[in-house]
Amino acid sequence: MKVFMVPLNSLILYDLIERFGHEPLSLMSEMRDRVVNAEIEAPPLNLTPEDVKVGLNYAGIEIPSGIRGRMSIWGPLLDKAEAAIIMHDMPYTYGCVGCHRSNTLLNHMVRKKDIPLLEVHYPNDDDEAKILVARVKAFLEGLNGN
Amino acid sequence: MQDTTETRMIMISPTSDITPDQLVRFVHSLGLGLGVKETCYGINIQGPVENVKKAFKEVRNLDPNRIFSKVRAFPIGDERRCRAHHGSRPGYPQLEKEWSDLPKMDHALTAMEAGEPVPVKKKPQPISIERFKEIIDEVSQ
Repeated sequence: MKVFMVPLNSLILYDLIERFGHEPLSLMSEMRDRVVNAEIEAPPLNLTPEDVKVGLNYAGIEIPSGIRGRMSIWGPLLDKAEAAIIMHDMPYTYGCVGCHRSNTLLNHMVRKKDIPLLEVHYPNDDDEAKILVARVKAFLEGLNGN
Repeated sequence: MQDTTETRMIMISPTSDITPDQLVRFVHSLGLGLGVKETCYGINIQGPVENVKKAFKEVRNLDPNRIFSKVRAFPIGDERRCRAHHGSRPGYPQLEKEWSDLPKMDHALTAMEAGEPVPVKKKPQPISIERFKEIIDEVSQ
């Protein structure tokens, strides 16, 4: 199954989803097409007019352009999702995934979508890591109907 | 044109005995014709999607609980990212943080394989009113 993850570029989540036999929907795969596409002048900083229109499907015109720009990439990815995992309290959410408003909107859209959803916390010690792995494994195996 | 190649980051947990150099030699020895770049955290491999998947499967078998991976958007040596071309490195602090936490994931995966029970994390309890009053008195003195 295609599993959406928040944050969209997490190494730990990407690895766990793949390890337990599912296909992670990640920001990196989505950006790949854009950065190797020679038609865009300075990827990934440039948006095409088409991206702007796509972004409007997920965030209104009054929403800051940065959020709409992000949603133009994240939104279509979420549309493909068959399940989702949200990881809260990531200590590193700055940079391209550091816009709090975008993350709040994305979490809201994931919760609103009628798909199996798991919400976990970033592990701060060994016990929390064990809880995280056990929960993710049980969730992903449950998607197979096991 | 449809891109049929993939670039994948392979990260070695600090708890592993495997070195990036060993991984580079191992991937070359597979003879899959992949581009390989040694990094401080592991290696990046690049090539046709199927070959990258085959190579990663073999690499992970070397140390399953201590080798982690995700795909990467930018090709190896891309001028917009590669330090050799003075590229910017956004996202690296995140990678560094997750890399430093890989030993926790290693312990968790190993414990799960060994069938250890999952620990129950107690929720932090609020302190009593009496204790709170004591703290107020201590602080205000």
